[in-house]
Amino acid sequence: MKEENSENYVEVWEDNVNIKDLLIAMALCIGFALGGYLFAFGDTPPLIFGLAGGVIGFIISSIIIKPKRQLTMMEEGE
Amino acid sequence: MDASIIIQMVLASVGGAVVYTLIGIAPGTDETAVLAPVTIALALMGLSPYVILAFFISSLVAKKLTDSIPVAVAGIPGGVMAAPMVEHAMVLKKHGLPDVSIRKMSSGSVIGTLVSIPASFLIAYLILPIADTVAAYSGQIFTAGAIFLALLTRNKVLSLVMILPFAILIMGLRHLYWGLDIVPEDTNVFVSFFLGITIGPIAFTLFELLNKKVRKNMPGLGAKKIEMKRSKKEKGLPNPFKILTGKESLTAAIGSFLGSVTFFLTPVGMTVFWGEAITRHIKDPVQRASRAISTMDGLTNASYLSGTLIPLIAIGLPLSPMAIGPAAGLFNAPPVFTPENNIHHLLSMGEIMTATIIGAAIALLITFFVTIKFSSQICAIVFKYIPHEALIGLFAGLVVMLAFMDAGILNIFGTILVALVAGLLHRNGVNYGVMFMVLYAAPWLLGLF
Repeated sequence: MKEENSENYVEVWEDNVNIKDLLIAMALCIGFALGGYLFAFGDTPPLIFGLAGGVIGFIISSIIIKPKRQLTMMEEGE
Repeated sequence: MDASIIIQMVLASVGGAVVYTLIGIAPGTDETAVLAPVTIALALMGLSPYVILAFFISSLVAKKLTDSIPVAVAGIPGGVMAAPMVEHAMVLKKHGLPDVSIRKMSSGSVIGTLVSIPASFLIAYLILPIADTVAAYSGQIFTAGAIFLALLTRNKVLSLVMILPFAILIMGLRHLYWGLDIVPEDTNVFVSFFLGITIGPIAFTLFELLNKKVRKNMPGLGAKKIEMKRSKKEKGLPNPFKILTGKESLTAAIGSFLGSVTFFLTPVGMTVFWGEAITRHIKDPVQRASRAISTMDGLTNASYLSGTLIPLIAIGLPLSPMAIGPAAGLFNAPPVFTPENNIHHLLSMGEIMTATIIGAAIALLITFFVTIKFSSQICAIVFKYIPHEALIGLFAGLVVMLAFMDAGILNIFGTILVALVAGLLHRNGVNYGVMFMVLYAAPWLLGLF
């Protein structure tokens, strides 16, 4: 809800994002996915480690990045 | 098919329905980008084809049910396919009826699913006799398909002109990888090029942002403002046939049937065309809007399901915009599925039917119930807690990893190249369908020279 960082978001894929946050999220997800794939061990196919890595990256970025949406709830006017 | 496979199918369907109920709500998520990579990854993991099909159908139905929710609640489409409905949903929202549109749309979706599954099996059965002939001429058909889809796009000339250059780009990269001994000569790199096309528009925008001049000229945006209405509590189990009036059910059913028959054409185009054609005569704006959204939602659902099922049952080649896009993983996920050995060849018609019905039934039960009861709560959670950055990041991660898996480090950059070209073409009015068709047609087409 803070206005400090507003006005410097851009629209990518029909929603507003902050470029720096986007780069962080992409680096995290790509890093974990590729890292998981490369450092897979045991008999499990490396793809599973890669997918798990991608999901871990997604979860971390969801925690550290705030969505750029401003929600206003309106009561049902009846 | 034994009990353990059926249990796995049920579990996969539940998982698909839950995950894609949430993804469906996230704004802007493109069907191909969110469904294809996951299906392909599951196929490559070696899951049973029954489980993959059930998962895909369930995810598709769930995604189609929920991507219209943000349209009704906030006026922003949750997916490409929901875009034609925005106008009508806004009419209802203006009249203070957003929860009505959610219920009408979801019910239309249910009808679309119920109509299109039997219709698809019937149509597939009818075209079965010519299927072998069709399959023998796949190269020619994909080329004809590319030309045909090119003629339907916004920019016909560019779409036609880019067919050969785009085929050269794809085959050029493949020959480069063969020449450098990165992949063996009989392996066609496919998945990463496919995903490259899918993420093309996003990749192009991102690379544009690297240009300082472009960045400066972009209008600085604030947080996306979304206004939501709290929906009323719903009691008991919802029944789609009670939510829709008789006439609405009927037009939704007719629309869904027409959408199934035209499975080989572009779903968005058909949704707009049939949806407007069937409802144009209605005068009252509210009635017209509610008839239009229930019909359109049924139609999109139907054209998606039939576009997947008919080619899958009858031909085994992805001969519809749906099958070459979101459902591509069921037809081609080398080395597990190839055009000569995919779900069409591995499963009988009855088995395809069983997996489809399990997937669709579970998605309808879970998602329809959840949609009607908790639509605004789920919307609020997705809008509040899932940053758009993380979604884009996740798909970027999947694409890079799958590109690496296909043909090593070099292919990550090859895929970026495909994505940039695809993004540039997409920006200029060439739609995905044409590029996907070229991807399939390329070996035959360039073999002519």
